[in-house]
Amino acid sequence: MNGAYAIEGTALTRPYGGFFAVNKVDIAVPHGEIRGLIGPNGAGKSTLIDVLSGRAAVWSGQVRMDGRDIGALGAQERRRQGMARSFQKTNIFPELSVREQLDIAARKAEKPNVEEVMDELGLGSLGQARARDIAYGEQRRLDLALALIGRPRVLLLDEPAAGLSMRESLGLATLLRDLAQRWKVTVLLVEHDMEVVFSICDRITVLQLGRVLAEGTPDEIRRSPEVVTAYLGSAA
Amino acid sequence: MSRATMNLAPTRVAAPRLSHLSWLLLAVALAAGFGLPGVVASVLVLTLLTQAVIGGMLAVGVGFLMRQNGVVSFGHAAWYGVSAYCLGLLLRHEVVPAELALLLALGVPTLMAFLLGLVIVRVPGVAFSMLTLAVGQAFHEFSMKAQGLTNGDDGFAIPLPDSLFGLPISVVQQPETMFVLCWSLLALVIFGLYVTVRSPFGRLTEAIRENEERARFIGYKTVLPRAATYAISAFVAALAGLLFALYNGFVSPEVLHWSLSGSALIMAVIGGSRLLWGPALGAVIFFFLKDLAGNLTEHWPAMIGVTVIVVTVLMPAGIAGTLAELFGRLRKAGGGA
Repeated sequence: MNGAYAIEGTALTRPYGGFFAVNKVDIAVPHGEIRGLIGPNGAGKSTLIDVLSGRAAVWSGQVRMDGRDIGALGAQERRRQGMARSFQKTNIFPELSVREQLDIAARKAEKPNVEEVMDELGLGSLGQARARDIAYGEQRRLDLALALIGRPRVLLLDEPAAGLSMRESLGLATLLRDLAQRWKVTVLLVEHDMEVVFSICDRITVLQLGRVLAEGTPDEIRRSPEVVTAYLGSAA
Repeated sequence: MSRATMNLAPTRVAAPRLSHLSWLLLAVALAAGFGLPGVVASVLVLTLLTQAVIGGMLAVGVGFLMRQNGVVSFGHAAWYGVSAYCLGLLLRHEVVPAELALLLALGVPTLMAFLLGLVIVRVPGVAFSMLTLAVGQAFHEFSMKAQGLTNGDDGFAIPLPDSLFGLPISVVQQPETMFVLCWSLLALVIFGLYVTVRSPFGRLTEAIRENEERARFIGYKTVLPRAATYAISAFVAALAGLLFALYNGFVSPEVLHWSLSGSALIMAVIGGSRLLWGPALGAVIFFFLKDLAGNLTEHWPAMIGVTVIVVTVLMPAGIAGTLAELFGRLRKAGGGA
């Protein structure tokens, strides 16, 4: 591993229709850490993930992975560097079978670990099922599975628990914590479910109106008066 | 060692093997082509069938693009016509031997389509269709205006050689033999496309069609496979254009006109593009409907239009797609009984 941080963004700015969705944000996530990214709607969480992952078209600042500047790389090259992401809205291949799409993802991976990922995410019995025919929770797991093929080093997750039941969300949180430790993957997690965030994150960054409002351990964030006022309220 | 570590062994992603049934169907299709001229006594019907098979091949090209890239071409006559003109001009000016002219007539439009595809496949939906229409009409206009080269609106007769690849030229000009050749090539083209769609490349293009963004985020560059698919569909259209030129021995701007692209699209819609042979079935229906309706009224296009509306509303998957669904249901019912 090179560099102090697995993923690092400096002065990240993303203009969006006359205002800044992300405004001079600095974020640095050390290797193996699970970093939560929280904030009210419109705070710029998903936009920040888009900038880091190469999805955003117009932006400024610097993005580094293991100390290497990857700002000029497209989504495909970032994936080759070991960065993967999931999406806020389920982003799978609906007409392909679960197995087919994981196989396609595996063709681009140095370590095509399809069986492993299917086992980990409980998709083993759904291999032949067409993705559009499986349950929503299973589709969310498939979305995550596509990101996990090849054992990425940096995983950017945009609301992976969105639409899941409380039981499914907590199961997902446990799985993420477990995988991050075993696979030594660095995770940046955008999530509205505070139970998930506070239970698995090592540190949390709070965004508000495109800027960093606070950063710290879950306990520090819980106790931060600014964060409680701006976002957490009774959830703290 | 954890379970996860133990399972990390690379998974080989192999192309699915072709079933015996696929080979059997190809053999039956080829045999049917050889047998049909013996059954059909009428030269007129054979001529119509030959035209339908050539039209069907063009429609198969259009359908393949719809199936794999999820986009509609309004300008595939361009590759059909460029192939026909390419053959005609090369033979007319005696630039290269006839056999090489045949290969160039296939290769040139395919290469042109690939290069164009690298640009236009980036554009989604209707905009893509409009670009294909524009490109097609640009070729058409060129053929009309470049009098010195193409003889403009009048077109020109193609000076075909006495033989091609050792076969007398009559083979490609008599409906009995030309039908067998066209039918065999169509069967081989559909089989080749079937192999392609089942290959890792075919699966990838389907994935890109389904969700291009996700394909990029699992590490794929998406323009190249889409351009390659466009080029493959153009190759099929070019083969149809080449057969047309050989059969008719004549080429004119009509082979580049948007109405031909539109007819091919109608054939693909009637037959359905989900199944590779659907557009070919659509072509046979189109040509026979056109012939029948043409004998009844000069307003035959209205009858084709009604057919398209009926098929689109009642059978969104096309006639082939609907037949396949019915067959699937019957098989299920039979299995359950």
